[in-house]
Amino acid sequence: MNLKVENLALFGKTKKIEIMIDSLMDCISNGAMKFESGFDIYLNGAEEGRCDDSVHQIRDLEVEGNRLRREIEGHLYTDMLIPDSRGDVLSLLEDTNYLLGLAEDIFLAITVEKPAIGDTFKGDFKLLASTAVKSVESTVLASRAFFRNITAVRDHLGKVSFHEEECDQIATRLKRNIFASDLKLENKLHLRYFVDKLDRLADEAEDVGDWLAIYTIKRSL
Amino acid sequence: MSATGWPSTQSNVLFEHELGSCVTLSRVRDKTFDKLRETIAMEITVLIFLTSGLFLGWSLGANDAANVFGTAVASRMIQFTTAAIICTVCLILGAVISGAGAAHGLGALGKLNALPGAFMAAFSAALTVYWMTKAGLPVSTTQAIVGAIIGWNLFSGSITDTTALTKIFATWVACPILGAIFGALIYKAVVLILNRSRIHLLRLDGYTRLGLIIAGAFGSYSLGANNIGNVMGVFISSHPFSDFSIGDLFTISAIQQLFLLGAIAIGVGVFTYSKRVMMTVGDGILPLTPVGAWVVVIAHSIVLFLFSSIELEHFLVSSGLPTIPLIPVSSSQAVVGAVIGIGLLKGGKGIKWRVLGNIASGWITTPIIASVVCFVMLFILQNVFNQVVYHEVRYVLSGPVLEQLEKSGIAVAELEPVRDREIVGGTHFRDAILEIKPKLTGELEEKILDAAEIYRLRVDPGKIKEIEAGYLSDEQIRGVQALSGLTYDHTWQLYDALSGSSMEWKKREKNKLNKPFNKHLDEQLKYVYELLHLENSGAINQ
Repeated sequence: MNLKVENLALFGKTKKIEIMIDSLMDCISNGAMKFESGFDIYLNGAEEGRCDDSVHQIRDLEVEGNRLRREIEGHLYTDMLIPDSRGDVLSLLEDTNYLLGLAEDIFLAITVEKPAIGDTFKGDFKLLASTAVKSVESTVLASRAFFRNITAVRDHLGKVSFHEEECDQIATRLKRNIFASDLKLENKLHLRYFVDKLDRLADEAEDVGDWLAIYTIKRSL
Repeated sequence: MSATGWPSTQSNVLFEHELGSCVTLSRVRDKTFDKLRETIAMEITVLIFLTSGLFLGWSLGANDAANVFGTAVASRMIQFTTAAIICTVCLILGAVISGAGAAHGLGALGKLNALPGAFMAAFSAALTVYWMTKAGLPVSTTQAIVGAIIGWNLFSGSITDTTALTKIFATWVACPILGAIFGALIYKAVVLILNRSRIHLLRLDGYTRLGLIIAGAFGSYSLGANNIGNVMGVFISSHPFSDFSIGDLFTISAIQQLFLLGAIAIGVGVFTYSKRVMMTVGDGILPLTPVGAWVVVIAHSIVLFLFSSIELEHFLVSSGLPTIPLIPVSSSQAVVGAVIGIGLLKGGKGIKWRVLGNIASGWITTPIIASVVCFVMLFILQNVFNQVVYHEVRYVLSGPVLEQLEKSGIAVAELEPVRDREIVGGTHFRDAILEIKPKLTGELEEKILDAAEIYRLRVDPGKIKEIEAGYLSDEQIRGVQALSGLTYDHTWQLYDALSGSSMEWKKREKNKLNKPFNKHLDEQLKYVYELLHLENSGAINQ
């Protein structure tokens, strides 16, 4: 018998899932910030161990995010909650959680491949990473609003689009500068690869936002 | 044998006595067997007739459960099995607890004066509702019953109350419109509130689910309480049950047992066949969100409450507030109206007009089919199975009747040609009146018919003992006892005598404030009339 107090209380289980969803969003948001700070550490050329710490932290957050997502999915299905928007919520949680996984992948690739980012490009790389993280954070805010304040979703999604466009501009500018520089071609290609990876984070965030806009229309009462 | 003859005499006497005893015993035995046979035959007949009530109950459950749980099930907020369990439990409680309390009012079928006729009317209504349920269309069971009664009226030559017909027409139009208006208004208000309150999606889901369960449970309770009269009311006087007690713990009255049986039939209908209509109501016309589903249930309940509650009207009048006009409402039509209202509020693009057209045509055809089926079935029942499907109602404009009519301000001089002419059948009597008085208004016609109807009553002391003490007050019972042994030809004569003997039998002035009192008194009077009615005093097997 599952006689926990939270299960006996009226809406006890609902409250538990609410907390879990909030925790998942916290994980994604924290992961994105960790990614930004880790990338900063990498750009500033700190010792290798600190970057690895950041990788571990992001990975832990991703593992926790995955656990929460699975648990939420299980609850939503077994307790048959939110039947009309269950599918949308599950997709939203998976998509947002994917952003955290993507951030981890990118940062892991940086620490493994160690791209040689010269001082000339550091500023733009930092800006690119920071803007991509902003787009992720806006997506997280929009997702939170989807659960509590449906009218605010649109505002946050506007910011996601704005940051994604910013990212595109920065990435284009950065790639032009990289290929206009005296670097060897292999270095240029390597840097371009990471520019694209960082830009992809913002693109994916925008894709999540686009789906979220549709879920919001469906949920609009 | 001795010569004195004594033994012989004795033996003769004894023989005769024995013979006599044997004959008497044999007669008694024969009579007992006859009586037993009659009782068994009657009980079997009653049980056969009872099946039509159960069929009607089953149809009602299969169709009307959609009004209370259709949107909840179709929006997947409540599983069908859960909804069916809640609905069945609550409607059984409603039927047994509140239904039995209102049993004296009977249902619409209580107007039919012969059990086989009532059986066929119930059967026809049930058959019609079953067809509509099979087609997945939500229809009004009451309208099917009224349709069947119209069929009975046509067959028996009784007069159809034109207001019943007008009510049906009015309901087709007014009810969906009111449902739509209330549905749209409540939906708009709920959306505004929810957007401001910023409730978490999951919490909102929980509240909506709870709201749907509570609204559904109350709806099911009132469904059971209000409709059990139609399903089982007609069998109150002829059921084979007796009171049942478990120690001193509790007693289930015979009527409660009868209603329990009816409610179980409704419950079986809910479990076995209601899902299809539920899906039509909750998803077929317009896919609804859970909040929309809740709004529909609430809007239909509010429409039903505001536009049909005499208690609310009384409260408003007694508080000096303006009243809301009471109009006939049907819950199926209010629910469909509320769904349309929400659909129109959202721009009307999601509404499936074809489904709506099917539903509307179902509404129109339901009373028509029920009346035709009833008419044909009555013909078969009467001519093939030799059953008395109606007792003839006789009318007479006797001296006392004319006096009574004169008192109520009707010019009786014109009615003299039909004075003391006993006419069989309402339509014949009306035609005879219309011949001499062609420009008769509906109200006057009703007054004359009411006054002239022969309904023989005898204030039998034995029957007085059967009066339920809780239903009539002590003073009212004393009023009836004061008339013990007297007979009356018309109900109004008994009413005059009762109102003369006790103030508690006197109707109050006709106004909105006194409406609930007069309505209750009418129900009590109807109960007394039925109890004291000299049955078969004009029954003729047609």
